[in-house]
Parts: sequence; C-alpha cells; structure tokens
Amino acid sequence: MPFSEFTFNVDSGYLEGLVRGFKGGILKRTDYVNLVQCDTLEDLKLHLQSTDYGSFLANEASPLTVSVIDDKLKEKMVVEFSHMRNHAYEPLAGFLDFITYSYMIDNVILLITGTLHQRAISELVPKCHPLGSFEQMEAVNIAQTPAELYNAILVDTPLAPFFQDCISEQDLDEMNIEIIRNTLYKAYLESFFNICNQLGGTTAEMMCPILEFEADRRAIIITINSFGTELSKEDRAKLFPRCGKLHPEGLAQLARADDYEQVKNVADYYPDYKQLFEGVGSNPGEKTLEDRFFEHEVKLNILAFLNQFHFGVFYSYVKLKEQECRNIVWIAECIAQRHRAKIDNYIPIF
Amino acid sequence: MADLYRGEEVCLAQLFLQTDVAYACLSELGELALVEFRDLNSDVNAFQRKYVCEIRRCEDVERIIAYIENEIEKANIDIPDLEGNPKAPQHREFQDIKLDVEQLERELREVESNRVKLNKNRQELLEYSYMLRLSQGCVEKSGAMQRDDSLLSVYEEFSSMDKELLILEPEADSSHTMAAKLSFVSGVVSAQYLPSMERMLWRGCHGHMVLHHVPIPELMQNANTGEFVHSCVFLVSYWGEQIGMKVRKICECYHCHIYPYPESKQQQRDLVLEMHTRIEDIKLVLQRTEDYLQQKLHEAVASVGMWRVRVRKMKAIYHTMNMCRDTTASGCLVTEVWCPVRDLSRLQHVLEHCSARGGLSIPPSFLNCIPTQEPHPTIMRTNKFTSAFQNIVDSYGVASYREVNPTLYTLITFPFLFAVMFGDFGHGLLMTLFALWLVLTEQRQAKLAIHNEIWRMFFNGRYMILLMGLFSIYTGLIYNDCFSKSLVIFPSSWNVSAMFTHGPWRKETLKGSQVLSLDPNVTGVFSGPYPFGIDPVWNLAVNRLSFLNSYKMKMSIILGVFHMTFGVVLSIFNLVHFGRRADIFLVFVPQLVFLLSLFGYLVILILHKWVAWGAMDSARAPSILVHFINMVLFPTTDGTILLFHGQRGLQQFLLALVLGSGPILLFGKPLYLYRQQRRRMWRPYRQAACVRRRIDNDEEDLPLMGDGGNNVIIMPEVESDVVDRVDEKVRVDLGEEFMYTLIHTIEYCLGCVSNTASYLRLWALSLAHTQLSEVLWEMVMSSALQLPRVLSAELWARRALGAILLFPSFALFVTLTFSVLIIMEGLSAFLHALRLHWVEFQSKFYTGTGYKFTPFSFKSILEGAGFAGVPLPGHMSSPSVTGR
Repeated sequence: MPFSEFTFNVDSGYLEGLVRGFKGGILKRTDYVNLVQCDTLEDLKLHLQSTDYGSFLANEASPLTVSVIDDKLKEKMVVEFSHMRNHAYEPLAGFLDFITYSYMIDNVILLITGTLHQRAISELVPKCHPLGSFEQMEAVNIAQTPAELYNAILVDTPLAPFFQDCISEQDLDEMNIEIIRNTLYKAYLESFFNICNQLGGTTAEMMCPILEFEADRRAIIITINSFGTELSKEDRAKLFPRCGKLHPEGLAQLARADDYEQVKNVADYYPDYKQLFEGVGSNPGEKTLEDRFFEHEVKLNILAFLNQFHFGVFYSYVKLKEQECRNIVWIAECIAQRHRAKIDNYIPIF
Repeated sequence: MADLYRGEEVCLAQLFLQTDVAYACLSELGELALVEFRDLNSDVNAFQRKYVCEIRRCEDVERIIAYIENEIEKANIDIPDLEGNPKAPQHREFQDIKLDVEQLERELREVESNRVKLNKNRQELLEYSYMLRLSQGCVEKSGAMQRDDSLLSVYEEFSSMDKELLILEPEADSSHTMAAKLSFVSGVVSAQYLPSMERMLWRGCHGHMVLHHVPIPELMQNANTGEFVHSCVFLVSYWGEQIGMKVRKICECYHCHIYPYPESKQQQRDLVLEMHTRIEDIKLVLQRTEDYLQQKLHEAVASVGMWRVRVRKMKAIYHTMNMCRDTTASGCLVTEVWCPVRDLSRLQHVLEHCSARGGLSIPPSFLNCIPTQEPHPTIMRTNKFTSAFQNIVDSYGVASYREVNPTLYTLITFPFLFAVMFGDFGHGLLMTLFALWLVLTEQRQAKLAIHNEIWRMFFNGRYMILLMGLFSIYTGLIYNDCFSKSLVIFPSSWNVSAMFTHGPWRKETLKGSQVLSLDPNVTGVFSGPYPFGIDPVWNLAVNRLSFLNSYKMKMSIILGVFHMTFGVVLSIFNLVHFGRRADIFLVFVPQLVFLLSLFGYLVILILHKWVAWGAMDSARAPSILVHFINMVLFPTTDGTILLFHGQRGLQQFLLALVLGSGPILLFGKPLYLYRQQRRRMWRPYRQAACVRRRIDNDEEDLPLMGDGGNNVIIMPEVESDVVDRVDEKVRVDLGEEFMYTLIHTIEYCLGCVSNTASYLRLWALSLAHTQLSEVLWEMVMSSALQLPRVLSAELWARRALGAILLFPSFALFVTLTFSVLIIMEGLSAFLHALRLHWVEFQSKFYTGTGYKFTPFSFKSILEGAGFAGVPLPGHMSSPSVTGR
C-alpha cells in the first residue's frame, strides 16, 4: 500500500513501540563481560537479576542447571512474543505467524528424527522450541511415510503448502528427513520472501536482505555438509532456496562444487560473503564459519531497528533474542562444565 | 522550625569497623537511620563482592518465605500485621530461622504434592465413572440409529456387550470377507481438541474407525494446569492392531485420558459402584489433608511476618557491608558515610557500644571526619505537618546543601494564595471539615492509605488541605461569598430609602427605568466602608463584576509584588551564608532596586489611589494604567491630572534607578571577577597551593585526615604547570560567567514583568470560581425554586410541586458543588498556587540542585515494597519523607 507510513501506527504503532522497548532490554557488551566472569551459575543468576531479565529465575530452587536457565529464557521470549501476537492485526499477525513456522519445521523434524531413533514422544516434546509448538505436533510419530505425514497431520497446519514437494519421498530415513527439512525450509523461505515483497515498502526493504542472506547461508551450508554423503548433485541443487543473492549463477556454481575450496571460490564473487570466509578456521583465535554467519545475521538484524514503520523489527527482535538465548546458554554451559577456554565464543549483539 | 530554615550540617565520616562487630554495628545503625553509606566498591560487580554468599543465603530463605506466604494466601488466611520490631538475626538465629523455614517448606510441599496426587486421582476416577456411564449411552444410541442397517444383528450383539471379542460375520453382499477384532479405545478428552482429533483420526486411519462422543455435564479440572475445562467422553471403535496403535498415539497427542473399557455390563455396573465408593474415600482423605494443611498454615502465620522482616534486615545489612572497602590486613571494614553533624555523637556512641559488646578493646571501631569538596546531601527534618509542604518544594528540586529552604514560607503562603483563588466561605468550610476529619481519625486513615494510592495523596496532604480550607473561609468572608450568596454579618452601609428622602428619586422613577444607580454623594446613602470584607449589597448590584474585577486585579498585583520582593530578599541569606559578599552589591541590590522602583512604585500608586480618592471625586480619578505607562514612555502632551504632588520628578528618579541597575546586573559581577583574577595573578604561589589541594580532592578523592592545608608540599617543577592550569581555568570561567550573568539578567528583568502579570491568575481564578458557583446556583437551585410558579397557578399545586422538585435539584446541586466546585476547581487552584511558588517565587532565590540524604534505615527498606533486587547506590528505595 502506498504511503503506508501514515497509517502504520493505527494498527501496529503500539507493538512497534513495545518491540523497541523489548529491544532495549537485550544484553549489552558490558553485560556479557560481566557474565563471563561468573564462577557459578548462581553468580550468573545474580547478574541477570540486574538486567532486564529481572527475577525470572527467582523461584527456582537452588542447584540451578543450564537446562532450567534455557527453559526460562525461552519461556520469557515466548511470553513476549505471544503478547505481541495476541495484540496484532493483519497483516502483522500473519507476519508474526510466519516467524513461528520456521520453529514448527524444526520441531516436526526433531520429532521425526527422535521417533526414528526409538525415543518416546513424551521425552522429545520438552525439547521442542515452544514458539513452534502446535497441537498436532505430538502425533507426528504415527506417520510412516512422508505422504502419510502430510495427509494425516500436516495438512491441517500452516506448514501444508511447504510440504508439497516432499510427498514423493518414499520412506522416512535419516537422509530423507534431512531432505524434507531442507525442502520445507526452502519453500518456507521462498514464500516468506514473497510475502515480504507483497507487503512492500520498508518491510520489504528491511526483510529482503535478511531473508536473502538466510537463503544463501542455507545454500552454502547444505553444500558444505553434503560433501562425503550420498546426496547427488542434482538432488542437492533442488534444496537450494532460490531467493538469495546467489541465485541463479552462484547456486549453479555451488551445485557443481566438490569441496570446500570451490565453495569458497564461489563466495569470492560476492563481496559480503567473501569477507565472511576470511579468517575462518578451527584454531584458537579464529572463528567457525557458522559463527561468522551468526555475526553477520546479527548485524543485519540490528540494521532493521534503524528504520521505522515496518515489520522487520519483529523478525529481527525474535532472531536477536534467540541469539541472546544461545549466548547465555553457551556461557552457562561453559561455566557449568568448568570449560572456560571457549567461554568468549559468544556473539555480542549491541 | 529552625530545622526547616535551611538544611542541617552534614559531614563525611570514615568508619573503621572491626569485621567481627560490623554486623552488629550496622544492625544498630539500620534501626536508628543515622547515616547514609557511600558505595566504595562501585567498580566491583554485584556478584564479586565479599558478602555475596550471605546475601544469596538470605535470598534463598526469602524465596521459601515467599512460597509459604503464597500458600497462606491461597488458603485465604489473613496474615496479621507485625507487632513490635524484631531485630536483625544473629548468625545462629538465622540458622534457626532457616531450619524452621525449610522444615515447614518440606512439610507444605509434601502435603501439597499429596493433595495434588489425590486430586488427580479423584479426577481420574470421576472421569472414569463418567466414561462408563456415558459411553454406554452413546453405544446404545448408535445401535438404535443403525437398527435398520444391514449390520443390525452385529450391532445388537455389540450393544449387549456379553462378549469380549466380536467376530463380524461376513455379509452376504460384501465382496470380501472381513474378519477382525472389533476393539475399543475409550477415554476423556478436553472439548476444544475434539474436532481436531476426530479429523486426524479419520485421516490417520483412512476412515477405518468410528468415533462417538458425549459431553460431560460437569467441568473437569485439568490435572496439569488446574483449569476447569469442558470435556467429552469418547469411544473409538476400530478393527485391527495397526490402526489401534495409531489411534492410541493420536489419543496420546491430544492429551486424552484413556481408560479401559469394561468387558461386560455386569462388570461395568460393578466398576461404577466401586468408583463411587473410591471417590467417596478419596474425598474423605482430601478433607483430612486439607485440614492438616490449614493447621500447619495457621501455625506458620504467627511467625512468617517476623521471619520476613528479620531476613530482609539481614540482607540489607550485607548489602551495606558490600559497599565497604575491606582491608584484610587490619581486619576491619572501612566505609564512608554521610552523617548529620548533630548525630555524630550518637554515631560514636553506637560504635563504642557495639565494640564493647563484642568484647574487643584493641583496636576498637572508630570514626574519623574527612573534609571534602563533594556536594553534600541535604537533610530537612520534617514532621507530619510540614512534610507535605516539603514534598511540594522537593518535587521542584531538592535544596542544595545548606540553602535557604522555601518550605518554611510555603507553609503559609501556599494555602493563602490557594485561598485567594478558591475564596468561598461555604466551599472552604466543607474542605476544612473534610481535612479535620482526616486529621482527627489519623490513626485509622493511615492504615487505609497504605493500600489506596489516591487516598494516600489526600491523606498525606491533610494538614495542607486543612490550612487551605481555613484560609478559604477567611478569603470567602473577605469576598463575602458563600455558595455564591452573600452573608449579611453587619448591616449594609448603603441605604436605598435615602435616595428618596434626600436624593432625586420619586415613585415614578422606579416605574420608568430598568436599572437605577445609587449615588453615594447623596446624604445618608453611603455611610462609610463596610466593617469587614465586601458589602453584601454588591451581590444585588448589576455592576458587581466591574467593581470586584477592579478590586481583585489590584489585590493580585499587590500580593504578587510582595511575594516576589520577599523572594528576592531571601536570596540575601544565601549570599551571606555562602560568603558571596560581592554578590550582595552586584546582584542583590540592583535586583531589588529594579523590582521596587517599577512594581513597588505601582503598588504604592494603587494604595495611594485607594486612600486619596473617595466617592466625591471618583469621577475625576486618574487611571493608574495610563500613569504607569507614561512613566516609561515620557509623553509629549501634558494634560493628565497628577496623582500627587511631585509625581513626575519621582518617576524620573525611579526610572533612572531602573536603567542604572541594568548595567550593574549585566557587567558588575564579571568585571569584579576579572579584577579579582588580575590581582590574584600577582600571588600565584599561594593560589597554586589552594588549587593543588582542590585538584587532589577532586581527582583522587583522597581522604585527608584533619585539616590537610598545612602539609601540602609543592614540588618546584610542578609549580609553573599548576599556575598555567589556574590561569586557564579562571579565564574559561570568566567567559562562562559573563554568559551566565547575561542570561540571568535578561531572565530576571523580563521575568519581573511577566511574573507580575502572572500573578493576575489570582484574580482570574477567583473570578472563575465565583462565576461558576453563581451559574450553578442560577441554573440548578434557583430555577428549581422558580419553576413551580411558572407551571401552575394554584397555590397548593405550587407548594407540592416545589417540595418534590427540591429533592432532585438539591441532589444535583450538591453533587456538582462537590465534584466541580470543590474537587475540580480546588485542583486547578492548587496547580496555579503550585506554579506561583515554583516559578514566580522560588526562581528568585532557590537553585534546588541538591540531593536528598537517604539514610540506611530498616524502616524505609521495609516500607519500600520493591526491595527485591540489589540496592545499588542510588537504587535504594528512598522514603518519601526525609529524616524522622
């Protein structure tokens, strides 16, 4: 809609203000500096008390564990998110729902993989991300084939449209699950990209670079991970999301790549990605490619807050908060296992 | 009152506390609320401080206490208010508390879990019994529906339930044989999931199942969340093991409770009976558990309040100890505190007392005063009468250290200025009675006020409201307004009949004209001024407004000029106290001259005109406005009547004074400072020493013992450097000083004009109040009294109608009087009085850039509800009233 800036605040002004307020509570560099100095999880709790998290751990009995912290962090995020979702009007409501779909995909895949390894469903459900839980989720284990999965369970969920390309797969083994995940994700990203473009205006301006990067990241990671597996090059090429900057030439080259060096060569054509590949390594002082990607994602998400009157801030907030959860859990994990060497490998946000 | 004149003297003291007795000392200090601690470890993280473990232990116990309190609240038991003041626990006592609390928590949790288990059990039994009863119904119903079907015989057999397994006979017309077990899954599911579950069952089993469901008439409790939800009994019938697996998994997904289906009717009947007895049993056990829980909680209620207070005190002490610097070598804690000078001896006493009790003699805890340049906190000791007024001043800005405190004068001027705007005898009386009631029932109201924020506002300001009411009664009498009517306390000094006997009026005059004016010059019509306030006859006069307006406007100007002049005069006390003698001649005197020669003169003109011009010559009286404008403009034409002899000369003299004071205000102070600086350049060494000392204090916060002036040694090579810095500093200051003076002068001179005009709000608001109350009387009461006469001619009908009408009209009158005239108008007058004090009065002398003294006090910590987090410096919940 043209001039949507003028009417944006009518429906979404409150929520944008709210999300910017929430963003103010994201931990700063100084907070992390303090957090890594903690000796025990109790110290961590004490320090988090003085931040925006407040007394979110106050009612936990004393031997604190990392999983409790993780659950509480997620719970807080979900409470904030669902508050926003409950107060949202269309089209923001649909946009927010779309954010949750990626978590739903992860959950479905987690449950299928778990069932494949003979785990009880009740054991798996707590491990699912609460943002992506849906009511049919726990019935996933009745499905033996992707077609059944689609026909019996997912057809009623918002994931149904993404699933159309996967029905052909014959049975659910590890390889196929991975393919299903990536196909789902591809379909999800592409349709999210389309939706953002339909929304247009600043939303498209802010969201498209983020989603483009997300798509390219997946393409690169898929390629790197596929080396040494039985995945054929044609199949691999089918999994690449086609909404990134790599599309179409970069993806074509990636489809032909045989080893890491060739992937790197492809990235060299794209200045943004070239930078990310530089200085990657597993030696101390160097960062993994994954971390470099995360850093770049954080950077893109922070940019979203520089513009007003668009939906990108909601997506970015969720992603930043997720990164923050990862950071705190990482630090907590390092503290709990007394493995302080890598404690600095978190990704600061502000 | 002397306390309010200016803040108390405060000094920075260093305390050396023996680690062993530090806890006891702080506990004592917390009770007495003597000192404010400074955080000496502000660079240390909260969790790296020394006593963080102790704090954590306290928080642990607090968490348990919160749990117990929560349980008590859930059981609907009131926690009685705590009596007495339990001390902070000693270490051993704390252990006892901890053990008690933990023991209680364990017991409560056990009982609670038992109860939850029993409840769940009961719920399940209830669901099962419902299922047995209802599923039977749905099977029979479906049987009835299918009666005409080809499967009739099968279903009849099926409904009779006498076999566990049903072998379906192949039908004659089916193309294939179907021989499978017909099995059932039955259970209870919450109603919201039912449609979705049905759909998924259908899809998952490809339609090879039949689902029946019946709603349960009662709301069932969800075992996990405790919510009450609508539920349904369902019965799935299917063939084959494969599908059975699926059905079970899907049921699991929707959190169904699955119960075994009875094999026969007999068995079912038995089961229902059994369920019934078991449910009764469980009810009994539940009741017992409940009783036991109640008993335990009642025991806990007695001590839970005390525990909380004691643990919180302990936590506060450790927080404070975390602010102390720990010198492990000497085994004592060093801390810096702000302490009122007059309490130093008490502080000393506490330290000695605690050290003695600890049985330590060498080295005892002691204190040591340190001189400092840092801004001191301000202490204003208030009582319940003055605190509301002090709050008003504080919300503008807390007084700088030892500054003249406007509160002392606000005590009277605030209610007075309020009353000038609110002046009405009747409304003032109501307000006074309300405030009086608050004051007299203080004890009871105080408890009420804790929970209700709006009520607390009124309650805290009760003495202010009382004074405002009393002053309103006074001004109401002056204005002679009582609910917009006049009181005739003394007989009016105007006489109408004299106009007939001595004046020109005849009988015919009355008939001929609408409005007649009384002539005070006719003998006997006007017998001198009314003894007190305004003559009631004005209430009948048509020209009442123009008379009152002239009076109230002039009165506002007079009050305003007095108020402002008083403000300027107060600034001299600050100047003298802070030793800025030069400012007295360069700032204070020109300011006063400026104000008095312009507006002071205006006031004199007003008073002069009132006294010198009477009824006889009022027609010829000159306009003050014209004269005042002419004073500044020097008119060329000269034809106006002078107010007094020599007026022109005096005005020129005053104007010269005004014009002279401007430049002095503008350039006086900067030039003086410049001269001082030039003179100082000749003795740089002494200056350098002074500055060196100051820099030391500023930058390093070095605790100098005693008077450190004599022991400063300056290295020769440092000297020139220091002198340069001095030079630079002073020069920069000069520029700043000039800008500051410029701004200040402009602000003051323009302010004098605009502030004087601003006092006209006294007139405007008072006028608005009078008019509003008059409108209310006219529109509501008066019209209701007159309406019967218009409506009916019969006397009895008029009386009856009048009597009936009086009720609603009076009710309306009272409601509007309270809501609009007293509350709304009162608030508006309050706000304007507030503004007159903050802007017009306080700007003349008050800087208000200080900060409050917030002593370490258990009382304020316990009152401040939000003491859950870490009280970092400045985050300490501060009491609304300073001192005691």
